[in-house]
Amino acid sequence: MRNVMIFAEHKAGQTRKVTFELATEARALADALGGTAQAVVLGKGAGELAQRLKAYPLDTVLVAEDPDVDAYLLDPVVDYLEAAAKAAGPSLILVPNTLYGRDVAGRLTARLNAGLAADVTQFNVEGGTVGCVAPKLGGAAITTCVFKNTDYGVVTVRPSAFSAQPGGAGAAIAPLEKPAGKTYAMKIEQEVEEASGEMGLEEAPVIVSGGRGLGGPEPFETLLKPLADALGGAVGATRAASDAGWVPYSLQIGQTGKTVSPQLYIACGISGAIQHKVGMRTAGTIVAINKDAAAPIGEFSDLLIVGDLFQVVPELTKLVKENASA
Amino acid sequence: MKIVVTVKLVPDPNAEKKIDAGSKRLVRTGIETVLNPYDEYAIEGALKIKESLGGDTTVTIFSMAPAASKEVLRKALAMGADDAVLLTDPALEGSDVRGTAYAMAQGIKQTGFDLVICGGLADDGSTGGVPGALAEYLGVPGFTNCRQVEVAGGTLKVQRETDSGYQVVSGPLPALVSVTMAIGEPRYASLKGIMGAKKKSIATLALAALSVDGAVGGDGAKTEVRAVAAPPVREKARVVEAPDGAAGARAIFDLLKEKKLV
Ligand SMILES: Cc1cc2nc3c(=O)[nH]c(=O)nc-3n(C[C@H](O)[C@H](O)[C@H](O)COP(=O)(O)OP(=O)(O)OC[C@H]3O[C@@H](n4cnc5c(N)ncnc54)[C@H](O)[C@@H]3O)c2cc1C
Ligand SMILES: Nc1ncnc2c1ncn2[C@@H]1O[C@H](COP(=O)(O)O)[C@@H](O)[C@H]1O
Repeated sequence: MRNVMIFAEHKAGQTRKVTFELATEARALADALGGTAQAVVLGKGAGELAQRLKAYPLDTVLVAEDPDVDAYLLDPVVDYLEAAAKAAGPSLILVPNTLYGRDVAGRLTARLNAGLAADVTQFNVEGGTVGCVAPKLGGAAITTCVFKNTDYGVVTVRPSAFSAQPGGAGAAIAPLEKPAGKTYAMKIEQEVEEASGEMGLEEAPVIVSGGRGLGGPEPFETLLKPLADALGGAVGATRAASDAGWVPYSLQIGQTGKTVSPQLYIACGISGAIQHKVGMRTAGTIVAINKDAAAPIGEFSDLLIVGDLFQVVPELTKLVKENASA
Repeated sequence: MKIVVTVKLVPDPNAEKKIDAGSKRLVRTGIETVLNPYDEYAIEGALKIKESLGGDTTVTIFSMAPAASKEVLRKALAMGADDAVLLTDPALEGSDVRGTAYAMAQGIKQTGFDLVICGGLADDGSTGGVPGALAEYLGVPGFTNCRQVEVAGGTLKVQRETDSGYQVVSGPLPALVSVTMAIGEPRYASLKGIMGAKKKSIATLALAALSVDGAVGGDGAKTEVRAVAAPPVREKARVVEAPDGAAGARAIFDLLKEKKLV
């Protein structure tokens, strides 16, 4: 495997930071392997995003602004990526570890008879072999996995694990030819935005999260959201909160929800059951606010405030805002 | 209509788990094996479709796991599934995502299906790669991350979760879907269900009964775990008793300052 290819996930040209993180890391990997770094950008707005990607150290940005990509689910994307990978030859394909990215990765793994390395947060290249480092079992073990008996390695990369750094001489933009003879069966009939403009939990640098201790849906809006906004972060929740219908499932962090590793995690009214722990224990700094000094969350937090979250959170929001405007 | 639900058997999600330093495989001994929690939602989704369609719709549970775990599948039957198939063969040990999806596809083709329903993520491996790869190997459309699935005639209409909302997507059967938790809380097995499950069939399938091309299990895997390390240890929390909101907020703010987070 010498070449590196990234899949730029986007919606009408709007993308998340992870795309630029992948672009930056692709260069480092390609240099270590002695190959090329390319990006594949597909669908409506692809041209626009390709222009932005020129600022990153890639060799080529392959573009196909094909309406089928937005009219049909997944298949056109997988076809394009398969064709691009086969044209590039033995390569490493980096995909963001998002809901959509995981699907793309699974499908490509079968198409390319490839290995899949999931949720990777670090690479080390030694003598042409790529080691993919990933926290497993909710952070209980850190594994390094390599590819064998295959020309292709598909990697889902954890958002925020790598930094995004512009550079390079400006990638060449080249059209990607439409794979011939394909028909598509899964028709997208309607697209509904429920949380447009909101930051994805997986890439929020700060998460303010609430559990059973919040007692209902309102405090998520009136207490946690203002603190998250003041810190430039997002609101998360435990399963207890989403099961109770206080917040949508998309905010759930833990075993059956999302795995996050923000720089700062503030757990409000969360006991720290293992189901929640596995989704957030790799966060940088963990602060807990809990009435119960013996809550298990104390076992894996940096700071446990034993107090009333309904009093602490608004005061903290005030301090953060004062600091920001000072 | 024949619905097949894929169910992974995983070590108790509530137990602390570790990876064996020698074999680099998950230690499964001494921990109870259970249905992957996410797959209970897939079962729930399947039972809802069966109820809505009525008639001769059946729900078959399909799992690939060591033979010793066979009886764990009884719980899925108690929830209301009609029967189960366990693909089991020592040669499948150490399968990676590609190998798992490939072997499962051969088994599911043999079992027969109109609709395959997967969970979103396995609690142990957690790659989320199997549903997509399985759709490929089955050669059917793969509608992933669905929160609602409607079957009418030979077609499927789903609401599929995205990072910012949802999509309505339609397509033909046979197909594969994977579900999210929004499909509905899994039902509890009733006493009648538990009694009835004792009489339901759990068939086993070995590799020899399938047309499998090339190496499987650890030998056929395209990935290999080279090293396993313990995560960095986090010291026990500093505990601060906050008599009022201001004191608690101050203690947090000071830490954020110290760590340059504000
Ligand atoms: C800690 C750990 C880390 C791993 N990391 C990787 C990795 O990075 N790359 C890799 O290739 N393999 C990895 N594996 C191996 C992987 O777990 C197995 O290949 C597994 O069979 C499928 O992957 P998954 O557990 O990620 O399933 P997912 O893709 O997360 O499972 C999604 C759904 O697929 C269905 N499903 C999955 N497996 C089965 C099954 N055996 N029987 C029935 N239904 C099933 C279920 O419906 C499930 O909800 C890892 C295993 C462990 C224990
Ligand atoms: N004896 C077996 N028969 C069938 N599947 C197995 C067997 N052993 C492990 N598996 C499956 O292979 C995958 C990898 O598991 P492991 O071998 O424990 O790493 C998982 O999906 C297991 O369920």
